[in-house]
Amino acid sequence: MSEAAFNGPGSVNGRSRWRFAVPLIWLTALLLLAVGMTTLEPLFRLFEPDLRQVIYDREHFWVLLGEHVLMVAVAALLATCVGVAAAVAVTRAAGRDFMPMVAQLASIGQTFPPVAVLALAVPVLGFGTVPLIVALLLYGLLPIVRNTLAGIQGISAEVLEAARGMGMTPRQVLLQVELPLAAPVILAGIRTSVTVNVATAALGATVGASNLGDPIISGIVNGNTAYIIQGAVMIGLLALTVDSLFEQLQPGVPGQSSGAQSGQG
Amino acid sequence: MIELFDVTRRFGDETAVDRISLRVERGEFCVLVGTSGCGKSTTLRMINRLIEHSEGEIHLDGQPIRDFPEDQLRRRIGYAIQSTGLFPHWTVARNIGLVPRLLQWSGSRIQDRVEALMALLGLPPEFAHKYPHQLSGGQAQRVGVARALAADPDILLMDEPFGALDPITRQTLQVELRDLQDRLDKTIVFVTHDMDEALALADRLVVMHEGRIVQQGSPIELLRAPADDFVASLLGGDDRGLKEAALVRVGERMQPITPKVGEAPWVSREATLNQALSLMLWHQTRHLLVVDDADAPVGRLSLDALLQKAHHE
Amino acid sequence: MIRDARPNRVLVSLMSLGLLAWLGLDALSVAPNRLVQGTPLNPVEALGWWVTLVGALPMVCVVWLAWRPTAFRLWASLGVVVGLLMAMPLWLSGAVVAVLDPELPQARVGIGPGFWVLLFLWLLVLVELRIRLRLRRAWVWGLLLFVLVVWGIALSHWLTPLALVQEYQARSDQFLEAVSYHVALVGAAVGASLVIGLGMALTMRRFDGLRRLGFGVLNFLQTIPSLALFGLLLAPLAWLSHQVPWLGALGVSGIGWAPAWLALVAYSLLPMVRNTYVALEGVDPGVIESARGMGMSRLQVFFQVRLPLALPVMLEGVRITTVQAIGLTAVAALIGAGGLGTFIFQGLGQAAMDLVLLGALPIIAMALMADALLGALAERLRRREAA
Repeated sequence: MSEAAFNGPGSVNGRSRWRFAVPLIWLTALLLLAVGMTTLEPLFRLFEPDLRQVIYDREHFWVLLGEHVLMVAVAALLATCVGVAAAVAVTRAAGRDFMPMVAQLASIGQTFPPVAVLALAVPVLGFGTVPLIVALLLYGLLPIVRNTLAGIQGISAEVLEAARGMGMTPRQVLLQVELPLAAPVILAGIRTSVTVNVATAALGATVGASNLGDPIISGIVNGNTAYIIQGAVMIGLLALTVDSLFEQLQPGVPGQSSGAQSGQG
Repeated sequence: MIELFDVTRRFGDETAVDRISLRVERGEFCVLVGTSGCGKSTTLRMINRLIEHSEGEIHLDGQPIRDFPEDQLRRRIGYAIQSTGLFPHWTVARNIGLVPRLLQWSGSRIQDRVEALMALLGLPPEFAHKYPHQLSGGQAQRVGVARALAADPDILLMDEPFGALDPITRQTLQVELRDLQDRLDKTIVFVTHDMDEALALADRLVVMHEGRIVQQGSPIELLRAPADDFVASLLGGDDRGLKEAALVRVGERMQPITPKVGEAPWVSREATLNQALSLMLWHQTRHLLVVDDADAPVGRLSLDALLQKAHHE
Repeated sequence: MIRDARPNRVLVSLMSLGLLAWLGLDALSVAPNRLVQGTPLNPVEALGWWVTLVGALPMVCVVWLAWRPTAFRLWASLGVVVGLLMAMPLWLSGAVVAVLDPELPQARVGIGPGFWVLLFLWLLVLVELRIRLRLRRAWVWGLLLFVLVVWGIALSHWLTPLALVQEYQARSDQFLEAVSYHVALVGAAVGASLVIGLGMALTMRRFDGLRRLGFGVLNFLQTIPSLALFGLLLAPLAWLSHQVPWLGALGVSGIGWAPAWLALVAYSLLPMVRNTYVALEGVDPGVIESARGMGMSRLQVFFQVRLPLALPVMLEGVRITTVQAIGLTAVAALIGAGGLGTFIFQGLGQAAMDLVLLGALPIIAMALMADALLGALAERLRRREAA
């Protein structure tokens, strides 16, 4: 990160009043739909006039939404803690030996398609919600580790030397200089991780974890287009909410959205 | 007071600094000068233990520096570097207040200190809330120096602090630093590869080459009697005469008589001899009229007086 | 060049973990037929103490070598690890013979967690050695090719009772079809997005408003999760194929290749356009100016200077797109697009883990190969440019 690219908090405050308008709009749409999907029954009737049931009813949409968000959130939280800790550990003097390998692993790992990682998790961990979360966690680690490494390594050597030269302890250097300066890049990593995981979690229905992917899978199996659309719209709105939220949190340079870097479910 | 006794630093098989001994007195402005890779920066960094010395001893006011915990040691020593190393995510005020905060001064005391330093270094108060990237190179460097001075350390280490600046800003800051040193009486160790800067600032000049100290002394001593060809060429070769002239003020050589006004081209008492010589060449004259700050004539400088070796030096 | 006297802690810890996995985890499972859950076996149970200790020896050896990692000792470790990777299928073959009851022809051997952990750790050791010895990537791929040949021989001759092999043999025709279909779908999507992407990037360079709009739309598309996009394309395509008979005759419908291909192209466009745009914009303006100054025409400047110089970065876009498309195509199996994903989802549906592996492993291999090949190509172009 170049020093010039760093916009002080001042520039963020300038647009603070309306910053969260876009995520709020998506969120409102998402919640309204979750609560009031049944009122749209006549609309879905148009798609499947011949079927008895056109609104997915095995579970309430707000329950599915809650499960989806919970799985992704737990995985993201753990992945952030573990990923940042790992990257910090290998950038300290004591762990520096492990850095090249960890960096390589993080970049090779990202070539693995998320769906394949999910599929491999099942033979090892079995079916259900916990294996899904573990798979999301493992895959979600990679962009966070990679970006944390990049963020910390991108800090100019002079800044670090000055910090040490002024008499900051290693802990103070880490907490007051390295992590704050790397924060935008780390946040971009978390964004990539969460974006991919929202999509991958939707496949959870195939490994026995219930969430917003259920209506889609069920719709495909039963040939019910209405179900598919309901699930797809909900997941789409959730993804847009999350992504636009990160967009606003990001203090970085406009146009450098690393969130949608690569990798979809 | 800083003392180095037979200090050596090796990196693998390379010897970066080879058994150097040096003594910097309290209040002295010591400049380490040499070509790049001569070990001058390594020497500087060994004093605040950013680099540990391999052999020998370094003492601070008579006590080995390894007796102090590194962080405590560094908080006692001001440090300024070429690229400033200002924290890009902190405001100017917060950057300057870094070391006081590490020393856990009270909030109001830090604020007072920051304001005083900004005034001292000629930074307008509204800069306090700016971020480093909003500053020009010269301003950033002033902030860097202010940060180094923040906890009022006795010792200041500076590694080419003005290296990245344009010549004019650079000269201004040199003058101000010299001025500051005269007022604050800090012990300063300053690293540069620019000989003019070294001559302008130093009380004691230390010339380093390939990890060793080749010669040390006052600028005049070195100019008069360079130890070898390397020092001579580093000092400017045949330009040494002019460089020496640049160290002497017109006021020291003029004859303090009251001349007739309008007799000759005039020169300020504060100007240096090389400027006076240049004026003589330009006006093709052997005599200059010397004026004081108020442009009142106070003396007369002749070419003979200019060429004369100063007996009192 | 390598005179590190300290132990290489990475190798030491990886190999120590490897030893623990070898001695403590189950490497195999044996089941009398496909439906029954297998009985897990660790290496000692499978082939006895002696073979297990002999198997542990090379790992101890690497720990010892890595304790004082001179260049020579690192090369020796490399030899040992490659040897281990080759010995792995041979050990498996032996174990298969030892643990299987000849009375039960239906019996099959599953690969246990210990085996996967070891494989993972040894590959990490290989990565570490590659970094420390500064080996070229192609060189390591060459080594791995050797290892793969040994694996291939073992798999086809002695490892037939392996459940994975049995799943493959039961549907070898389907498998080849799935692989070629997967490749074809990825190729068609990447190819189409390359053409469209180049066109879009060129247009965007001309019109600023279009650039913002274009990136906005593509960013938006990329945000929509794949399963959702596949789902959303289903209804309109089904409707379209009803309304336009010749499209239906072509095979366009709500499920199948059409929505998969469309969604793949939609996802592929963002990385493709972004890289192409950045690549074309990123060419040193000094070079362009001097080319024009020499009197080259606009077209000559574009085709002889700008495009060749932009190529490495554009290839980077192709690489990202291809790797992404390989994974997305697997998801597309859910809407009946075929390809290797079919095995994954069939396997998940039947709780047949080896069928899942039959789908997942080739997908990972394809992604890694595409990444390596396209990465090497870009690297080559870049180096030629620098030379």
